[in-house]
Amino acid sequence: MDPVVQIIKTGFIKAIKTTLMLMKVVLPIYALVVIIKYSPVMPFLERAFEPAMRIFNLPGDAVVPLITGLFTDEYGAIAAASQFDFTAAELTTVAMIGLVCHSLPVEYALSRKIGLPAGKIVIYRILAAVVVGLIISRLGGVLL
Amino acid sequence: MTASVPAIINEFLTGSFSTIINVLKVLIPLMILIEFLSVYHVMEKLSKKLTFVTKVLGFSPSAVLPLLVTVVMGVTYGAGTLMEMNEKEPLEKKDFILIAIFFFICHGIIETTAIWGTVGANVIIISAGRLMLAGAITMAAARLPFFKP
Repeated sequence: MDPVVQIIKTGFIKAIKTTLMLMKVVLPIYALVVIIKYSPVMPFLERAFEPAMRIFNLPGDAVVPLITGLFTDEYGAIAAASQFDFTAAELTTVAMIGLVCHSLPVEYALSRKIGLPAGKIVIYRILAAVVVGLIISRLGGVLL
Repeated sequence: MTASVPAIINEFLTGSFSTIINVLKVLIPLMILIEFLSVYHVMEKLSKKLTFVTKVLGFSPSAVLPLLVTVVMGVTYGAGTLMEMNEKEPLEKKDFILIAIFFFICHGIIETTAIWGTVGANVIIISAGRLMLAGAITMAAARLPFFKP
């Protein structure tokens, strides 16, 4: 077979496989976030995290994609983020914090496996995410 | 409660469906691109041209390949490359830590930027911002007395 066709085929199959694997994560998270969003827990969460989120110029809801991202992966965070009405600047801030600091359990295991100080890396990523959040939230209002 | 049960179920079905379509739109071209990159050994060729970056960032030239693979293709591919390198010719501890400092801030840059772009985040800020931040922290860390030669 033509190598180019073969490459496209392999890539396509890999994408479908990855998506199927992701569905196992995304669907339950999506369901859970929809339920939380309409349950009495949500106003409580919003109020509890409002002061913390205000540091990053974010509304209280932003805590949902951020926490989801910490424990699952970016796809989970996106599934959660797509359910609230964030502005482009807010989404950019959420994306940056989430991108720097996400899937901590999985990537903790991964860094152990390649022989890195996993605990220190987790602390480093959380700190970096806070710094990034502070910078981007200030910039976002100017640039967007 | 602000919505009825059928409305919630409806929102779940339509919302999760559109999220998965968005993911597919990104992943199909991305996976094909990654296949091309690995079949034609693009990363190996590119890493030879990028050795000057190592001077700026402060680690040895052999560390460019795993770093490039992780940043462009994603953390699973990068970890694979690192494990392979560890078997053949292990990197120095300093290089290893510096690579980690860089790539835990900034990995899978095409994939993650593209999917966040589909929901409406600013693509340029999140990709360039992460690269610059990772570069700055790595440069600073490499020059700290914390790493003794």
